Amino acid sequence: MTRRFLTAAASLTLFVAPFARAAEDALPKAATIMDRFVEVTGGKAAYDKHHSEIATVELEFVGKGIRGVLTRYADTSNNAYSNGEIEGIGKLEEGVYNGQSWENSPIMGPRLKTGAENADAVRDAYFNAPLHWRKLYTAATTGLESVEGDDCYKVTLTRLTEGKPEILYFSKKTGLMTRIDRTMVTPMGEVKINATAADYKPFDGLLVPGKLVQNFMGNQLSLTTLDVKSNVDIPPDRFEPPAEIKKLMEK
Amino acid sequence: MKFVRPSAALVVFSLAATAAGLTQEQRKLNQQSFEYAWSTIQKVMWNPMPAGLDWQKVHDEFAPKIQSARSMAEARAAMQDMIHRLKMTHFAIVPGGIYEHLDLSKSGDGATGFDLRILDGRATVVSVVPTSPAYTAGVRPGWQIVSARGVNLDDIIRDVSAALPETTSKPLLLNRAVSAELEGPANQKLPMEFLDGQGDRVKLSIQLTPPRGNASTFGFLPTQHVWFESRKIGQAGYIRFNLFLDPTYVSNRFAEAIKSYMRCDGIIIDLRGNPGGIGAMSMGMAGWFIDRPGVRLGVMKTKENTLNFVVFPRPETFHGRVAIIVDELTASTSEIFASGLKDLGRARIFGSVTAGAALPSVFEKLPNGDGFQYAIATYISEGGRPLEGIGVKPDVPVQLTREALLAGKDPALDAALAWIQEKGNSQ
Repeated sequence: MTRRFLTAAASLTLFVAPFARAAEDALPKAATIMDRFVEVTGGKAAYDKHHSEIATVELEFVGKGIRGVLTRYADTSNNAYSNGEIEGIGKLEEGVYNGQSWENSPIMGPRLKTGAENADAVRDAYFNAPLHWRKLYTAATTGLESVEGDDCYKVTLTRLTEGKPEILYFSKKTGLMTRIDRTMVTPMGEVKINATAADYKPFDGLLVPGKLVQNFMGNQLSLTTLDVKSNVDIPPDRFEPPAEIKKLMEK
Repeated sequence: MKFVRPSAALVVFSLAATAAGLTQEQRKLNQQSFEYAWSTIQKVMWNPMPAGLDWQKVHDEFAPKIQSARSMAEARAAMQDMIHRLKMTHFAIVPGGIYEHLDLSKSGDGATGFDLRILDGRATVVSVVPTSPAYTAGVRPGWQIVSARGVNLDDIIRDVSAALPETTSKPLLLNRAVSAELEGPANQKLPMEFLDGQGDRVKLSIQLTPPRGNASTFGFLPTQHVWFESRKIGQAGYIRFNLFLDPTYVSNRFAEAIKSYMRCDGIIIDLRGNPGGIGAMSMGMAGWFIDRPGVRLGVMKTKENTLNFVVFPRPETFHGRVAIIVDELTASTSEIFASGLKDLGRARIFGSVTAGAALPSVFEKLPNGDGFQYAIATYISEGGRPLEGIGVKPDVPVQLTREALLAGKDPALDAALAWIQEKGNSQ
């Protein structure tokens, strides 16, 4: 999860920018904080060796009784594919294939993502994103803030392509990322989301958050990492979208 | 949302109890109820308070009235007055006994096997599952239900009707109150009295059976039974399902049906009695009829968020006529679906005005035992009109009558078929 850098991106608003510059004078540079994160989660060499992964995550809508398990496949092609079953809903699939993202569910049917939503998904699929963040974002340190009692540096990421600002919080003490604030752009509208990351665990030489708790629209979604297999051979056709998605791509 | 098993006697009791003076404890409970209702409205209101209301001033005006109320009726009237200041539907205080009648959670796992509507103030059978014991016992559409377990349903209809505000969702709540009397454990025999087609009294003991359809669960919601049916009628495809739930089952059956009707002149989607379910399913299903990306059925607005109900076109879409049949029990996701396709010029609506309950208006029990209804959001259909408290107005109004039921007719379906047939004839 964290390896994808944590998903979103951001463009600095005019409001934030002046503060960002002032903060940069007193606080560590964003690049230092981001690079430290790479080091504390395994180091550049470990990331360099890491060329594919299959992650299994258990999810739960807290207090709603809705649970499921998702498996995500990703590799250095920057393609990705996830599938899983959610109780009461059914099979969910989503993916990124050669720069086009999509999803398919029994609720909304097959659909292609467009615009900022597609840009976000493509960025999220960028493999080993923490190592390559400079290709995806510019970053600025914008403050120091407590996250659940832990002093954290705030780093605002500005996306190099379209998308909304994203703020990451890194523990001053451990260097680990503890929280993300982002705006998801969807056809249904913009949704503000914050996620806390905790319980980092080693999987094949890299530290991954064992628990992510996302809050959005009054809901709480808890994601528990069950397993991460690294450097597994994933056949290229694993990333090929299902037939209905291909038909939409051809339309 | 905590419901208790109702009893007709409670209605009488609650009305009688209003004459007695209030104890200190009752006063305290009324005060708590008032504070809960006031603060809940402040919390959920999606717009600034309507009509320029200063909600704090409203609080300060009514709090002393609740404190000094000499009876439950007086306290309730003060709370109702406060809520009326909003001038909005779906905000109400109902007496405790009436609230108990609106409980569906008490139902048990047995059903009568027939569906009912309140026609001319009487509970009337509108359809009977052919394989049900009720059908075997001779119950037919058009029969009126006089009583169940010795409880006179006319009394319930009268009492509940008098207590509820005049909103589009009143028929839905009335139906719920009556239906609740007809449920119980499966295999239990339910003594009932009917008026048949000739007006003769018929006493029957109807064996309750598990409800029609597949048991479906979604989170902590109670188990619900979901069914889906489709068939071809002439050159029209006909689809009916009872809930927007169990997406794997309903969406897949819907997809199979639409694909098999691609060459038909039209498709009829019968949403009568469908109270909705998972709202987002409307977006996926509408995608079978719209081939333009970027259009939406409408927009939902809560205090915190604005959510567009966007249509996601399928790879292959249906281009023939689409008729949607609705009635006063069509609610929530069904209304979002019907209204959106109507506003987009993609469907013609037949039947009667829907429940105007596009969003879950929550019904809660207050500390003093009364019921408190409030809406948590508003929904504006693509045509610019809200659905809450207004409902979907049919393009072709068709009222169901007992006479039509007794004659074995379905006027709304006939009207939809005629419209599709008209298209076939013009080709």
